[in-house]
Amino acid sequence: MAPLVVGISGINAVDNPGPGIGVARCLREAPDLEVRIVGLAYDAMEPGIYMDWVVDHAFLLPYPSAGHDAYRARLLHIQEKTGMSFVIPTLDTEMPFYMKHQAELARLGLRTFVPTPDQYRLRGKDRLGELATALGLKLPTTMVVSSAEDLEKAVDRIGTPVMVKGAFYKAYKAHSTKEALGHYHKLVAEWGYPILVQEVVKGDELNVVAVGDGEGGLLGRVGVKKMWITELGKIWTGVTVRHPLMLQAVERFMELYRWRGPMELECIVDGEDVYLVEINPRFPAWIYLSAGVGVNLPARLVRKALQIPPPPMEAEDYPAGKLFVRYTYELVTDLDRFQSMITTGACGDCGVDGQEGDPRRQGEAV
Amino acid sequence: MQRLRSLALNPDGFAFDPTTGESYTLNATAMVVVEGLRKGIPPNELAHQLAEQFDVSLEEALRDVEDFMDHLRTFRLL
Repeated sequence: MAPLVVGISGINAVDNPGPGIGVARCLREAPDLEVRIVGLAYDAMEPGIYMDWVVDHAFLLPYPSAGHDAYRARLLHIQEKTGMSFVIPTLDTEMPFYMKHQAELARLGLRTFVPTPDQYRLRGKDRLGELATALGLKLPTTMVVSSAEDLEKAVDRIGTPVMVKGAFYKAYKAHSTKEALGHYHKLVAEWGYPILVQEVVKGDELNVVAVGDGEGGLLGRVGVKKMWITELGKIWTGVTVRHPLMLQAVERFMELYRWRGPMELECIVDGEDVYLVEINPRFPAWIYLSAGVGVNLPARLVRKALQIPPPPMEAEDYPAGKLFVRYTYELVTDLDRFQSMITTGACGDCGVDGQEGDPRRQGEAV
Repeated sequence: MQRLRSLALNPDGFAFDPTTGESYTLNATAMVVVEGLRKGIPPNELAHQLAEQFDVSLEEALRDVEDFMDHLRTFRLL
């Protein structure tokens, strides 16, 4: 049987890592899936391009904001070159494209497993209040603002310190209105409107990653406590936990919204109080933990989407108390891949016709 | 008490709370108290055990047990 060729974005394995390399490693470790990984990059410097033991081929994509036609055309080009038949988008900014065009992409032979646009909107940052209520969680006082004047009013009402959060990414703590305004302008320039101003709540950061089957059920979940984080708040060391309220909230989320695809529930937990921070519509960068504890969520997503039966001995659930440790590593390689990415926007063994490993020699992907 | 019962406790005194991810280190006397409370042994009986095992007066042992239980409450384990 020909290998399954999977396109994965977010292969920017940097200090604020995208989830792509973790997703790719999970798929490679699934005993029943024979995969070839196509890295979908936005910059020739993304480290995943050079990790040839994880990423078989890599291609540069135009940013989704450059227009859906160009983005779709590039995906179809990659499909033609590699036999790519499944795509796992891992970046928030890509989701609108994949959600909107998922049916059309599927007709063209590019399958995905992503939420619908309606589901996506329901978990938007501007609707966290109703979401928290529905899930039985608390919400830090939060105000959605779209002007500097509104921001000042929000800071006055909430009181400092506050968190100032971008529409897609990044959050900064501000100890004064002036500092909050600085963060506001920076976030608007980078990610646009709206901006959230949120009360700072104290407690431990607990997250759960899960995959919904789109029918109200759960394909699996893993909870983690962040033990050590980077300056940007990204997990560096963590431990698996089983917090009943959070696990129940994820189940409820799936039931209520019939979520299709991956999601990450982010909370602050202070004793019995569980505050909802946000719900991300994608795998988190720490997703490799799921394979490490026997609940390989990317593999489960692929199997569900392609109706592949689970392998025997698949774990039902995960244990608490497994440690996740991120580390830095370096590789040294020739300039070939870099040159190829710069000049042709592609690299890997797909670039040379008919060579060993060229998936076009192996027939169509499943 | 539910949280205290759910702690994963190893013989070296390392305790892990699977709900919150917090971990603690317990000395020998704390181990006696935690293991005893998990079995439902009342504090005054635990004080007797400590007084027998650690060469300390019953009065002092009882005070220590109560102090330690206050710590457990602070950590919301009790």
